Amino acid sequence: MKRTEILEKLKDILISADSKNMELAENCTESANLYTDFGLTSVNMLFMVIAIEEDFNIRFDDVSMDSFATLGDVVSYIEGKLQ
Amino acid sequence: MQDLKTKKNSVLSLKYLFFDFVKITAALPGLIAFRTKVVYPSETAKKKIKGGALLISNHLGKFDPAFLQFGVWYRRHHFVCGKDLMDSRGGPILRAFQCIPIDRYNVNTGDIRNIVEHLKNEELVSIFPEGKVNTGNGEVDTFKSGMVLMALKSEKPIIPVYIKPRKKIWHRLTIAIGEPVDVKALCGDRPSFAKMEEVTSLLHQREKELEALVKN
Repeated sequence: MKRTEILEKLKDILISADSKNMELAENCTESANLYTDFGLTSVNMLFMVIAIEEDFNIRFDDVSMDSFATLGDVVSYIEGKLQ
Repeated sequence: MQDLKTKKNSVLSLKYLFFDFVKITAALPGLIAFRTKVVYPSETAKKKIKGGALLISNHLGKFDPAFLQFGVWYRRHHFVCGKDLMDSRGGPILRAFQCIPIDRYNVNTGDIRNIVEHLKNEELVSIFPEGKVNTGNGEVDTFKSGMVLMALKSEKPIIPVYIKPRKKIWHRLTIAIGEPVDVKALCGDRPSFAKMEEVTSLLHQREKELEALVKN
């Protein structure tokens, strides 16, 4: 799966979870910060991880939510897991 | 047959040896000292807690885990405890009590998975969703929403419990136990962040109702 496809799928997860940031999610790039731009909390991030695991059929390692600052960080992680 | 075997193993489990020893030896002094009174808002809430469940409570002090154990005496509790406490000098005792560590300052997938695993193993997990000891005016502080995620992922109910503050050490201990809240039924499989916050607020509201029940 290409990075752009992963990003689009990730955006879909974000939009369904956080409707108030729909416009931002639709137009964001990989550099968008999950905490400052989207205002996500660490619990929101954990929820995202669960959704990503289900949608991408992968399993996250025991990672800290601090390791993901931008959407690009998450895309890179998923890309690595899919390889 | 399989169920019976599992139950038997659970009762005789070696890992609970220290927990059970303390529970049995502390039972009589605790009964005399606290004279625990348990109140329920409804007949549904009176039903014994069976299987996996997440018990949430207000947090007034370091004896709250013992108070909760007296409130729900027939189950072994697995208290969710800050990793910093587990790493302190008291850590070995907390581990012997089968507490579950959680890193409050560095939220990670491993901690949540571990808690969910305990719940799926039909254990009773107890957590203080205020995230710290409430040293304020006794009002229940806001709840963190991580508990909703744990209940959702494990598909187990959340049971709100309220410990009434004791003004004097010799006062009777009063605990209110509420009805189980089926988070999955409220949220669905994949709720929005807003829905999770809504359920967190609902649980806080239930806690306030239990507080009102025992206030007078």
